[in-house]
Amino acid sequence: MSNDIIDGILEAIRLLFTFDRELWGIIEVSFRVSLTSTFLAALVALPIGSFIGLREFRGKKTLSNLINTFMGFPPVVMGLIIYLLLSRSGPLGSLGLLYSTSAMIFAQFFLAVPIITGTAKAAIESVDPTLKETILSLGASERQLWWELIKDSKKSIIAGFLVAFGQAISEVGAVMIVGGNIRWETRTFTTSIVLNTRMGEFGMAIALGVLLISIAFIVNYGLTRLQARGG
Amino acid sequence: MNLLKVSNLYKEYYKEDKSSINVLSGINFSINKGECFVIIGPNGSGKTTLLRILGLLEPPTKGQILYYNEDLCNISRYKKVQYRRKFSFVRQKPIVRNTSVFNNIAYGLRVRGMKWEEYINDVNDIIKLVDLKGLEKKNARSLSGGEMQRVAIAMNFVFSPDLYLLDEVSANLDPMNVKLLDDFITKIKQDKEKTIIMSTHDPLEAIKFGDRIAVLNNGQITQLGTPNEIFTAPKDEFTALFVGYENILSGTAEMDLKSGLTIIKINNLTIVASEQVEGEVKVCIRPESIGISKNPPSNVSYRNNFKGNIEDIRDLGNTCHLIINCQSERFLATITKLSLNNLELAINSEIFINFKATDVKIL
Repeated sequence: MSNDIIDGILEAIRLLFTFDRELWGIIEVSFRVSLTSTFLAALVALPIGSFIGLREFRGKKTLSNLINTFMGFPPVVMGLIIYLLLSRSGPLGSLGLLYSTSAMIFAQFFLAVPIITGTAKAAIESVDPTLKETILSLGASERQLWWELIKDSKKSIIAGFLVAFGQAISEVGAVMIVGGNIRWETRTFTTSIVLNTRMGEFGMAIALGVLLISIAFIVNYGLTRLQARGG
Repeated sequence: MNLLKVSNLYKEYYKEDKSSINVLSGINFSINKGECFVIIGPNGSGKTTLLRILGLLEPPTKGQILYYNEDLCNISRYKKVQYRRKFSFVRQKPIVRNTSVFNNIAYGLRVRGMKWEEYINDVNDIIKLVDLKGLEKKNARSLSGGEMQRVAIAMNFVFSPDLYLLDEVSANLDPMNVKLLDDFITKIKQDKEKTIIMSTHDPLEAIKFGDRIAVLNNGQITQLGTPNEIFTAPKDEFTALFVGYENILSGTAEMDLKSGLTIIKINNLTIVASEQVEGEVKVCIRPESIGISKNPPSNVSYRNNFKGNIEDIRDLGNTCHLIINCQSERFLATITKLSLNNLELAINSEIFINFKATDVKIL
């Protein structure tokens, strides 16, 4: 067993530094899927989240609770739902998207939307109410106010985006179900680690694990830097 | 026509346990264009809530606010923005946006759709006025408290609104900034197109700027009138305790070069003061500073001597208040009960009042 670990680590180093084609393919797929899904989610979630944060309306509390629940939505269940939607007999089956990166983007998009919506809402709500009033009393329209508040809370909003991205790239259940873990096509860090561990190919698994942890570290480092910066 | 007419305005807040507190109950007043209306009251009397409602920053629970005959409580979001652009709301504790001094001051003009070349001169002018030259590019949030307040003054005054809502603006200012603000308010008051509604808990400030004063206590206006009406004849004990008693007169001051004293013409009266000023002034004489004599005084140092009639006597225990009419100007004087009896004073008695030039306080 201990031999396996040492062999695995050596193999991981070799793969990383010889720029193995398959390894880099997996990295490319993972980043493409997670960045696209997070970016698309931000486009939808930022306006929704900040609108909820800005306005007072009936049912806001219930909606907030709902968003908070969905922020911790189990990825496997999301995978199942998207699978059922995209499967040949499902309502969107005719699109033929199952087992493609598009399906994975689809699933991660729905996982990221509540996270970014929730953080954007919280960010807008946490802005000093007297600042909101000052901006309004200076004559700002609602859209001008909205833009000012986004600018004022951009740190928290970027943080929300990074959290969503970190979740997406380290998520395994949904991409496994809707992507199918097809070599060269839909294999990502996480699904590949699962597969290689099962097969006893610890080298590849460890190499990918190290990379994934490094990404997590970089994202977290970015968050800390962001929060430490004044202004 | 009234610029603003507030009728039957109520504001209730709901607490956690669903019980409610009335912050404003049944407020009624109207304001004319060009007027400076002062709301005076202690902390927690509802001044800020009233101004916030007038500034369309929160809705009243019920009531009506007519601005040029349009009810501001019943208008669309879009119209609210249009009305807010005619108003300026300056708060006691200013807050600035996280950007440069210049951008902060220009913001009000920019949201009104003005272009850089249209507002650059206005902004630079006001930056000079508030003495922030050289700090334009600095982030406004990195400034000292006093500098930040000057940014707040500039950013609220630069777009020249029709109605200024000033919420205890001078409460936290140092003397230099108070002077700056005074100059601004004085300038706005000269423009008869501009209207000011300000709140304060400082009676002297109310006297200085107010054309009319409303006394607010526990969410109700207990008295409304000119400064002299309020300060010489407070309607109830609260008002008396809170605002105190002052004789307030307004007139035109001129310097007398021979004596170095100031001669102030107030309708039919001429008052002599030792402080040197010229122009339109308000003067204040404490009721304790006014002496009473039965006969015309001779050989006294008092520079101000007037003949008058006692209109009213109010008993205050061992002292009393006399309301004295001197050529249709009313004076309030405090004297002891002993003097009242010794001089055998009664309503309609003819007397002489006198006070020193050094006791005439010019505001």
